[in-house]
Amino acid sequence: MRCKDPIIVVKDLYVNFYTYAGVVKAINGVSFEICRGETYCLVGETGCGKSVTSRALTRLIKSPGRIEKGEIYFYPEPGKKIDIMKLSDEEIRKIRGYDIAYIFQDPSASLDPLYTIGYHVAETMAFHGVVQSIKEGIKKAAQVLRLAKMPDPESRVRAFPHELSGGMKQRAVIGMSLANRPKLLIADEPTTALDVTIQAQIMNFLKELKEKENLTLLLITHNMGLVAEMCDTVAVMYAGEIVEEAPVEELFKNPLHPYTRGLMRAVPKHVGKNVTLESIPGTVPNLIFPPPGCRFHPRCPYRFDPCDKKRPPLIEIEKNHKVACWLYAKEGGKR
Amino acid sequence: MAELRRFIIRRLITFVPTLIGVTFIVYLIAAVVPANPARLWAGGQKANQQVVEMLIKEYHLNQPFYIQYYYFMKGFLENTMVSPVTGYKVWHEIKVYMPVTVQLTLISFVFIVLIGIPLGIISALKKDTWIDATIRVIALLGVSVPIFWLAYLLIFLFFTKLGWITLSGTPTPPYSITGIPLIDSILKLDWRTFAEVIKRYWLPALVLAYPGIGVIARLVRNTFLDALGSDFVDYIDARGLPRNQMYRHVLKNAMVPIVTVLGLQFGGLLAGAPITETIFGLPGIGRFMLTSIYSSDYLSMVGGVFVIALIYMTVNLIVDILYAVIDPRVRY
Repeated sequence: MRCKDPIIVVKDLYVNFYTYAGVVKAINGVSFEICRGETYCLVGETGCGKSVTSRALTRLIKSPGRIEKGEIYFYPEPGKKIDIMKLSDEEIRKIRGYDIAYIFQDPSASLDPLYTIGYHVAETMAFHGVVQSIKEGIKKAAQVLRLAKMPDPESRVRAFPHELSGGMKQRAVIGMSLANRPKLLIADEPTTALDVTIQAQIMNFLKELKEKENLTLLLITHNMGLVAEMCDTVAVMYAGEIVEEAPVEELFKNPLHPYTRGLMRAVPKHVGKNVTLESIPGTVPNLIFPPPGCRFHPRCPYRFDPCDKKRPPLIEIEKNHKVACWLYAKEGGKR
Repeated sequence: MAELRRFIIRRLITFVPTLIGVTFIVYLIAAVVPANPARLWAGGQKANQQVVEMLIKEYHLNQPFYIQYYYFMKGFLENTMVSPVTGYKVWHEIKVYMPVTVQLTLISFVFIVLIGIPLGIISALKKDTWIDATIRVIALLGVSVPIFWLAYLLIFLFFTKLGWITLSGTPTPPYSITGIPLIDSILKLDWRTFAEVIKRYWLPALVLAYPGIGVIARLVRNTFLDALGSDFVDYIDARGLPRNQMYRHVLKNAMVPIVTVLGLQFGGLLAGAPITETIFGLPGIGRFMLTSIYSSDYLSMVGGVFVIALIYMTVNLIVDILYAVIDPRVRY
């Protein structure tokens, strides 16, 4: 156990998508835990299962997807354990948006174009019993939007989504997600759809907010810069599996998994110098027919005998630094 | 609100050229048909030459058609234009026949809304089940079955076999507020007359509505499924809102295209009215226009076209206003 006081614990999670082309094994035995109060990051390429993992935490997997097996425990308070997989639909609905709130990638797509921002905030509160009615919620919406640093919140309450800029829409979405004072905030690439300047604002604001509101943040991103700036603990995902998990400094100082190293080399470091960025050869595997053994082995420069036969276990190399790679598992220590 | 008023005024002004265009084209088509209308009006073969000449003079038939059109429109709008065949003023005829058509299309429209929309929603909610398949077949039949064929089939069933309906006369209450018994009976809370009207009109209205029901059911199914697949629905789930609230959002989003098509469907009803009225023996404006055509009374016919065009434009104006009420992104 990494955490003394975890807020969420996931054990051996499997998610499949039953498509016409075949069964996509999107999440393949993922286990991790998030400590209360930290910022936990999931990084990886598009399609590696970051979003699916985050949505599986409140069973937000829609048909044709299905959580195949796994255990998910949520601790709203220290010592109080809720088995997410055993909850009824109604019980899990009450947790979504109340204890565990989400921010999705594209704020324009998160809002219903036909309703005002105030209505969105109000309904989020009203259906969780935070306010008695939507009417009352609309009155309180300005307050919520002010918390999300929305400029001129009073008039924004009456605005429709198309009347706001992307950054303001994301503030509105953040406002909605915070309206019920959640304990865990899951931000799924919250700034990917926004301008760079707005990105910085939103991220700084999230950081500030986290301290003020005593939030736990699960941040999903493919931006290594953001990871360095925001995260306490990082999990690197590849093709539906966690391949490495470490505290953020440790990961940047001493990346172990060949995939993590590849990711690091693909990030530009020295502006102005004429260096070519390295890329990881090959492409993300088709998860209908995932490669046997380690899913990264076809692209791995260090692959050797067991890699294409047996899946490497996620083992702890140093304190809190786990990696799933035969390079380290073989001797049970450093290479 | 000021914007809305400006929009309505702007649209009302466009009514004028549209009405002139519609009536002019129809008048042109009627006038270029090689026939001698004055002789026909005067009684055909046995026509008295004097009467024929009087008619030619009265209706300016020896002048080019656009001059004829001008005199027709002038007379029509001043309510001095008399039908050369029936001897009544054209507006009088319209006033007599219009209520029947209005009742028929209104009841039809209610059928489209009350049957078409729920069928589409059920179909979407039960997607890819036998219920969905059945509804889709019903809808497809509605779009493809000719209404006159269906009408005779149903007349055979309900009139000949079961005797549930009548095919002549229309209920007229002793009072008149708007001139339309259906609306008057509702205003007066006279449910007996209301029931009589419904009893006379339900089958023709249903037959007339069937293609529209098919179109709307298919459209509602697709737009509902579209809206159900939008990203904001995912976010509604992620916020833990209950199912009913989600459907509320979905339905409102699905309504935007549906309202537009409902407006167009009204035009379809008006266009289908002549056939339905003729088959079911309803003395409406559609049947009146058909008889006008048979007797070369194109003056009455163009008068009918004028009123129908006016109704159609008004309905679509209402649709455009509704459209902006539902969707805040629409600006006038």
